[in-house]
Amino acid sequence: MSLRRTMLYLPGNNPNMLLRGHLFRPDGLILDLEDAVAPSEKDAARILVRDVLCRGEFGGCEVTVRINGMDTELWREDVAAVVPAGATGLRVPKVENPRDIRLLDEYLGEVESQAGIAEGRTAIFCLLETALGIWRAYDIATASPRVAALIPGGEDLTADLRTNRSADGTELATIRSLLVVAARAAGVDALDTVYPRVADDEGLRREVAFIKQLGFDGKSVIHPNQIPIVHDIFTPTEAEVEKAKRIVAAARDAAARGLGAVQVDGRMVDKPVVRRAEFTLSRAGLSGEVM
Amino acid sequence: MKTASAGTVESMDCIVTASEADPGSGVTVQIAGASAARFGSAMRAAVLSVVSKMGITDVTLSVQDNGALDLVLQARTEAALERLKGGDVA
Amino acid sequence: MSINAVGRHLPDAIPGYGPVKPFQGAAARVPEGHRDGGRLRAVYGGKDKVLPDLKAAIAASGLQSGMTISFHHHLRNGDHVINAVVDACAEMGLRDLVLFPTALFGVHKKLIPHIKSGVIRRIMGSVNGPIGQLVSEGGMEDPVVLRSHGGRPRAVTSGDVHIDVAFVGAPTADRYGNISGVGSRSACGSLGYAHTDAMYADCVVAVTDNLQPYPISRISIPQHYVDFVVAVESIGDPAGIVSGSTQITRDPLRLLISRYASQLIEASPCFKNGISFQTGAGGIPLAVTAFLKDAMKRRNVKGSFGLGGITGYFVDLLREGYVERLLDVQSFDLEAVKSIAENPDHIEISADWYANPWNSGAAVNALDVVILGATELDRDFNANVNTEADGALLHGTGGHQDTAAGAGLTIIAQPLLRGRIPCVVDAVYSVTTPGEVVDALVTEFGVTLNPRRTDLVEACREAKTVPLVPMEELVDRAKKLTGPMDPVVTEERIVGVIEWRDGTVLDVVRQLTPRK
Repeated sequence: MSLRRTMLYLPGNNPNMLLRGHLFRPDGLILDLEDAVAPSEKDAARILVRDVLCRGEFGGCEVTVRINGMDTELWREDVAAVVPAGATGLRVPKVENPRDIRLLDEYLGEVESQAGIAEGRTAIFCLLETALGIWRAYDIATASPRVAALIPGGEDLTADLRTNRSADGTELATIRSLLVVAARAAGVDALDTVYPRVADDEGLRREVAFIKQLGFDGKSVIHPNQIPIVHDIFTPTEAEVEKAKRIVAAARDAAARGLGAVQVDGRMVDKPVVRRAEFTLSRAGLSGEVM
Repeated sequence: MKTASAGTVESMDCIVTASEADPGSGVTVQIAGASAARFGSAMRAAVLSVVSKMGITDVTLSVQDNGALDLVLQARTEAALERLKGGDVA
Repeated sequence: MSINAVGRHLPDAIPGYGPVKPFQGAAARVPEGHRDGGRLRAVYGGKDKVLPDLKAAIAASGLQSGMTISFHHHLRNGDHVINAVVDACAEMGLRDLVLFPTALFGVHKKLIPHIKSGVIRRIMGSVNGPIGQLVSEGGMEDPVVLRSHGGRPRAVTSGDVHIDVAFVGAPTADRYGNISGVGSRSACGSLGYAHTDAMYADCVVAVTDNLQPYPISRISIPQHYVDFVVAVESIGDPAGIVSGSTQITRDPLRLLISRYASQLIEASPCFKNGISFQTGAGGIPLAVTAFLKDAMKRRNVKGSFGLGGITGYFVDLLREGYVERLLDVQSFDLEAVKSIAENPDHIEISADWYANPWNSGAAVNALDVVILGATELDRDFNANVNTEADGALLHGTGGHQDTAAGAGLTIIAQPLLRGRIPCVVDAVYSVTTPGEVVDALVTEFGVTLNPRRTDLVEACREAKTVPLVPMEELVDRAKKLTGPMDPVVTEERIVGVIEWRDGTVLDVVRQLTPRK
């Protein structure tokens, strides 16, 4: 399972950020052809993003592209340009109908086979930016095996709800919980929306702690300076890692000896606890030690 | 005379301006800006390779550079030439 | 011809400079003989050294055509003194003067007509901006001599350079010549770069816009070095003299590099109680200081002193107890100026004290960590600070050589690419600081250690927090990103001589051939 604690948006017409984004070591990148690009620059940005994908370097980052919405004329050209160039995921804005995901799935199949890419390689990240999209979250997540994650919208969504975005995120609390449930039920990741106040490190810290507690796998970020903060919160502490290691080791030992019940530090440990420990280790980048 | 350009003045970008040229006049490239002193040859070669890949024989290109790497220079050249071709005149 | 210890081919002598002593190694040259000194003089009686104007002082100083005049750069880009003195010299018909400033700034481009008309024959000191461009294109008869902040007082005290008249811009002075860097609207704090000139010049003229009755307090340069005092309307523009309070950068690339640099320091053996550091005023160094402060807090480490050019950020470190003292050769901002006037633990030091290699031990020798920049570094870690990528001589040496030579851990921190221009190359265009005194380069790609420092390599591997990138890999990466560079085209003629702090020659800079 690849980590998606942070996925960094990079404006699609900005060479400086497109070329340097990976240096900040987020888990993933989102080369943005949608909102970050002015309508008059869509053509130039598409060429630039295509060339950056072909020839740029991305370190260990998962590289995705936010294409223009499926309600525009642009999305097919976006897909045809960036998938052969090497994007392994597409972030699709304003998804509210499972039919759109099936349509994209089909088109991706064509593009992949024409480009000689293994069919099914390109993952889909669904941005749910309307009330309708959130309501249909599970159906959207299960519309194609390519769907890798659900992401709630921020500004658009709160506008659609006829409210606005507050500092403590009251208006998004239920939606975020709902989205985690849908994502878990469908077996995909739940990734949070961006935190727009880039200079407010403490506010970001609070919000990330909150969404982590809700069960999110990570957060979209719009500024490199947000990355270390999100990673810090999503990275288990040394004590948590040590405890998880003991639990997993004890469970493995018990399984080898044919025992059911396991004790760690004098406490009974059951299956969910073991699973949580395995998850902790994977977040610490130690999944290899578990498998 | 028709011209079209692409790119920005931001750091690590450049503005490429393409202008139609009379048939038979060939390809002219002018380069000015941040990296011209030490990378003029490489930049010229990068621009010319896009022109020839697109099968264009007569055009005038001027690059105002602010530290673009080859791939950026080439993406901007292609975008400017596409715009010139498409009549999307800036 | 000879080849020096950094592999540069040098002529045996350079017209307008004289015989060349090739660089032999950072600590190879041992001085002989005794210190030089200024003219002996006696003043019997008298209570007032004030003269009516600059021309009167120039006349009284005995300044003749062809002589050497010196200035300090504490008034930075606000300075009015150098331009005014040279204007006055020109009006008095003096010619062929040798200008010996501790540094020049953009504001001194007004000297260009005086260079062209022959009032100034030669500059010994840093050149930048338009004057640097002029010199690079061959606009000056004799080559510029570039010396470090420590190399300059060495040249003065050893007699390599003799100062005929030192003009000392004085934010405050009294009628008998005591000088202070504080106490007026032109306050610049420390006057560290002026001390040696005042002690060794044949004649010293204080130029002030705040003339006070005798005696003033907080004296930087005392009366017994000063021959004349002139009151002028203004010695400088306060906005150009000191900056406002400095904010830590939010630029993500600079923060990334700063974080890596701070992680390197934290992993190094010098991160312990008593640590001392110099970080200057640039965006990256200041951010490194901020990260370092966090690390000191987290690991409960207390420092001993901060050195060099002092900012408000360092003043906070002193006030909050992260360091015990500040040794200040140059006060960059209002906070620093205020602090040096009030806090006895904020100590003014001279350039000689700060960095001269030829005395009984300079402050840089006690330095643990220094963060520096450079235009470029090569595979041997030689650093170029003086010339830009296009070969133009645009930057002074500053304290680069001295702090690198003195510090236990010398870090050069900056982006691998400035636009398309890489900061690592096969061979630097000119050598300012030899690789033997540079320990690490920190870029957005991580930390590149000088392999000579096996202790650091080991410490970083152990700490696991620092991404290490070997120099070979970094150079290859830069080449792959930027493509091949065209050579700089030059004439044979030498327009600049880069001295190592001990007076030997590291490199020369040649006249640029105009581009088509």
